[in-house]
Amino acid sequence: MAKTFKRTRANKSGRRDLLRIGGTGLLQGLSLPALLQLQAEAALPSTAKAKSCIFFMLEGGPSHIDMWDLKPDAPKEIRGPYSPISTVVPGTQISELLPMSAGITDRLTILRSHSHKDNAHQTGRHWVLTGYPPSFADGQAKGIPFNELYPSIGSIVSRELGPRGAVPPYIEIPNALGPGGPGFYGARFAPFTISNDPVQADFRVPDLEIPNAVSRDRFERRQRLLKQAERLGKSSEAAGGAATLGEYYSRAVDLVTAPEARRAFDLQAENPDVRERYGFSSIGQCALMARRLVEAGCRFIGIDNGSWDTHFDNFSSHEKTLVPPTDRALTALITDLDDRGMLDETLVVMMGEMGRTPRINKDAGRDHWSQCQTVILAGGGIRRGVVVGASDETASYPVTQPYGIQDLLRTIFHLLGVDADRVYQTPTGRPVPIVNGGHRIDEVLA
Amino acid sequence: MSARDVLTGLIPNLAVVFRLQAVIFCAAVPSVTTATDATSLIVIPQNVLLQGPEASDQIVVLRSTEAGTVDITGQVQFEWPQQSIAEVLPGGRILPRTEGTAELRIRDQQLVADISVTVSGLLDPEPVSFHADVLPVLTRAGCNSGGCHGRAEGQNGFRLSVFGSDPGADHAALVSEGRGRRVFAAVPENSLLLRKATAEIPHGGGQKFSAGSRWYRMLRRWISEGMQLDSAEEDDVVRLRVQPEQMVLTAGMHRQLRVLAELRDGSFRPITAECDFESNQDDVADVDSQGQVTGVDVPGEAAILVRYAGHVTISRVIRPQPESTFQRPAENNFVDRLVWDRLQLLGIPVGQPADDATYLRRVFLDVTGTLPTPAEVREFLADTRSDRREQIVRDLMQRPEYASFWAQRWADLLRVDKDIIAPEGAVGMTRWIRSRIETNQPYDQFVREILTAGGSTFAASPAGFFQVHATPEDLARSTSQLFLGVRIECAQCHHHPFERWGQEDYFAWAGFFTGVKSSAQPGGGSKIRGLAGKPMAHPRTGVEIAPAPLGSAPASLSAEMDWREGVSDWMTSRDNPWFARMIANRMWSWYFGRGLVEPIDDLRSTNPASNEPLLDALAEHLVELNFDLQQFALLLTQSAVYQLDASTVAGNSTDDRNGSHALWRPLQAEVLLDAVSQATGTAAEFNGWPLGYRAIEIWDNKLPSRFLSVFGRPQRQTVCSCERGMEPSIAQALHLMNSETTLQQITSRHGRCAKLAESDQSPSEIIDELYLCTLSRFPSDAERQAMLPTFSEAASRSEAIQDLLWVLLNTREFVFNH
Repeated sequence: MAKTFKRTRANKSGRRDLLRIGGTGLLQGLSLPALLQLQAEAALPSTAKAKSCIFFMLEGGPSHIDMWDLKPDAPKEIRGPYSPISTVVPGTQISELLPMSAGITDRLTILRSHSHKDNAHQTGRHWVLTGYPPSFADGQAKGIPFNELYPSIGSIVSRELGPRGAVPPYIEIPNALGPGGPGFYGARFAPFTISNDPVQADFRVPDLEIPNAVSRDRFERRQRLLKQAERLGKSSEAAGGAATLGEYYSRAVDLVTAPEARRAFDLQAENPDVRERYGFSSIGQCALMARRLVEAGCRFIGIDNGSWDTHFDNFSSHEKTLVPPTDRALTALITDLDDRGMLDETLVVMMGEMGRTPRINKDAGRDHWSQCQTVILAGGGIRRGVVVGASDETASYPVTQPYGIQDLLRTIFHLLGVDADRVYQTPTGRPVPIVNGGHRIDEVLA
Repeated sequence: MSARDVLTGLIPNLAVVFRLQAVIFCAAVPSVTTATDATSLIVIPQNVLLQGPEASDQIVVLRSTEAGTVDITGQVQFEWPQQSIAEVLPGGRILPRTEGTAELRIRDQQLVADISVTVSGLLDPEPVSFHADVLPVLTRAGCNSGGCHGRAEGQNGFRLSVFGSDPGADHAALVSEGRGRRVFAAVPENSLLLRKATAEIPHGGGQKFSAGSRWYRMLRRWISEGMQLDSAEEDDVVRLRVQPEQMVLTAGMHRQLRVLAELRDGSFRPITAECDFESNQDDVADVDSQGQVTGVDVPGEAAILVRYAGHVTISRVIRPQPESTFQRPAENNFVDRLVWDRLQLLGIPVGQPADDATYLRRVFLDVTGTLPTPAEVREFLADTRSDRREQIVRDLMQRPEYASFWAQRWADLLRVDKDIIAPEGAVGMTRWIRSRIETNQPYDQFVREILTAGGSTFAASPAGFFQVHATPEDLARSTSQLFLGVRIECAQCHHHPFERWGQEDYFAWAGFFTGVKSSAQPGGGSKIRGLAGKPMAHPRTGVEIAPAPLGSAPASLSAEMDWREGVSDWMTSRDNPWFARMIANRMWSWYFGRGLVEPIDDLRSTNPASNEPLLDALAEHLVELNFDLQQFALLLTQSAVYQLDASTVAGNSTDDRNGSHALWRPLQAEVLLDAVSQATGTAAEFNGWPLGYRAIEIWDNKLPSRFLSVFGRPQRQTVCSCERGMEPSIAQALHLMNSETTLQQITSRHGRCAKLAESDQSPSEIIDELYLCTLSRFPSDAERQAMLPTFSEAASRSEAIQDLLWVLLNTREFVFNH
């Protein structure tokens, strides 16, 4: 395994280094599950409140001023057509576009003072999902993932916490988040991407199901034969990456055959009323899938939801296509998690890479606005029923302490029990802390 | 033969090495030995000279016996027969106390050695130097690292340059900024700098040193002396000297390093306490912050990096396997001699030779990225010529698959990206590369053509290289990493932390590429022209820097020439220190699955090869071959080392870098897909391409393919060989298991399974055929017996054949090269 100079002793000991030395042969005799077990035991620092995180990335940037942070007293060209409504928390008002969420604000922290300075999509998403500014300009990202160097939150969580069940620790749905990759951490910490939308009637997870042409009996016979072929042939001496692939193959067999894993991915098994409650929308069924994956032990589920970039017809888009399914999905998820006693150990984050301009443009749209955005947080050690922070009279800038991306990520990692100051080195030897700077947002913590 | 030759591996006798180590210490620094019979004490140094209140030195005490030399610094007693003028800490660190000269006695049971200690400069000390004293402290305490105040935006309003690369700015940050609170000459103890660093008041970075420590006293004295900024010329360190430069350690054994700064006037200053220490292989040898090295579990060689104020050096550690007797196999060529030397030195036994079938599969995959067909395996196994293993490589190099495969590899590295250079450009550039591979163009000419490319990016030409790398900075970074293994990108913003490169070097190098002009062509694509450029300016000082090759004097360039010629002349000259080494290492990694230097394109002096004499010899040989890469590949493949089996023997299973056995290597995505297609007797479908193309022939790096993306096809975003994902994943396992497309290939009506099912071959013959088409060998009797029942268990003969082929495609023996 390629290695570069690492930091001296004080900075480098730790359970994750077990994996790093995999290429040297020290792993022989220690199976991957055993290793993961070791890690899981070592990985429960005292700060951990959340075991899992469900992260909604509303791609394009949702309009905070039309959803969570209304300014009814602002001029007409700013305030938009929507009225605030009261919610279950006295004094907390949100938009009339979110009537269902109004019933669950007692379980949310509405953070109205998130602010950063990257006003573009790809670069902004890179910032939000990795905590680092990208080296490319907006529009130059090629391919997915486009975080070439810095790992995404999910990959970090995957590396630091490892799996706690049959399903992979980091799953993306219904497609890859642009900067959702592992960066320099390598393929081992890449997300398992379900590149299908669970709202589709023919939804299935690619490669997860045994092809229809292969019966269950036949699959089992093949696995039996494969074991023999591997034992009798040269595979029995596999080393290095081949040994690791063998461990992954066993995990993959578990994933394909273990009832709990299969059940997690099988949305058909869900009560139709529950599916209905989450809504038959992409975001609704993804949220439901996320809950099932958390139950099966997934650590980080990244939900990619698109089309929030409303330069044109901001209002009809938000009112008709964007907000209603989101309102329904968020409400159903929070309620469902709470009813099942899972909310306190499941962190839910909903945000975009930016908010939208308070001033309405000539196309009845709102443009990019990273200076102010509302982030919705819930569960997993987050305070219930509060609004944190405030923006000015036009929702343009925070008037309270602005919280940036590093602050937010540091808070997320704190709740998951990940040491945000841990340092890893890139292939060129550059030390990269998990979060570079920032302060934990204590106001949002329960 | 010099001592150095011995230590780098030519004489394998460990006892000799131990002895020579002692000789080297003696040669480097005088020492005293007090002999009692065969046992003696070696003390380093003989004379300790401590100048100034914060000076220190490192005493190292060794006990030498017939069995070897052991570091006993931590076990001896230090006594002052006359008067005590310095403090000796248990680890041998010595600190001044009062001025004078005295004897220091070192006692180890019956053995005694005396050394002389002189302390001066306490009463009237030299002023603390900002460059030589303060900045190293800030670096060592981590204050100016990229994660703390060295970040571009600083930390909490306090910004330092990374690793002290901009002393003037750092001095200003400390003395003038922060409303003058950071340093306070009247009461130095009240300086924010000291109060924060000692965590006397809350400090986000925690406590960096304690009040009263050496670093603390150094900074405090600098403040009380008025925060002088001495001129940079006063940094008179020429180079670092570490003792020992080489050592042999077994697991659990310790060895303390001592570091000296060699000054311009020829004298030495002890600086062990000021240095940073890091190991590049901490599973072989580890080092602590005091410079004590410890042997760890894995036999091999490690380099301990020693860093001090922008200077670096290394100490090499050999960690042999104890108690082994070495059987030296026969040699086919010099590669074997140098690998056996290394293995003998390390005490690692050599594995078994590979049989003909194993060798055949390996060379097919390595030379052509293609599996042998069953007929080719049968033919080779029947071949009785004694030179058949060489002849097959010569044959393979004439095949079209050879050119396609190597063209694809170079297209990855040269970043043939159709999204940037358009499909026409990707086709043109791929065709150019392929033509050069086909004609076996010498590598130096190949690189020269790339570096001086011009004309249309749509032509069969490497001109597109200058479209994907559109700026002088891009070209500086990519060309140095790709062709020289010099990663200079760090130096764009700050001094390279592990190397000598600074911003001057970076912009001197980038200056060569300032004359590249690109203009849009009417018919699409761009026209690239290489002209004279203009020197680039230092980003901080604004001073123009004349273009200069790395580590060399400025080039003589004229306004009439293509400045890139300055690069290509220097780069491809026979005495370039990196060029031949880089391609030798790259080729080695392609044929052996791991570079002699890893990462393969990071040839820092502080990142030595696992076998330096071998890499030296390979580079030299390549120059003698006039960079004929086919001849070079013949040398590699005909070595006994290459022809070893991947199985291990007792004592070599943890070795993955010294060549004691072959490695299990993942097939790159395209090769694996082609192997599946060939084994199933079908063609994979590529959207928009006529049926029948191999994946190694596809120039379209963005062609949608789940198989290729799951198995790590590179995006061609960098010239780094690390871009190709070669790590296994769960997604790969799932795809092997359940891929619908692979299933279709297995069950195809025109595929191998269908043909075998329709044939009149017996089950046993079919099993032979299936093993031959996947694993390129005949099954053993046990394997045949294990597979045969499938024919009765499965619903039909064709189902049985499909099952068996599916099984073989899912073995790691198939998925890997070994």
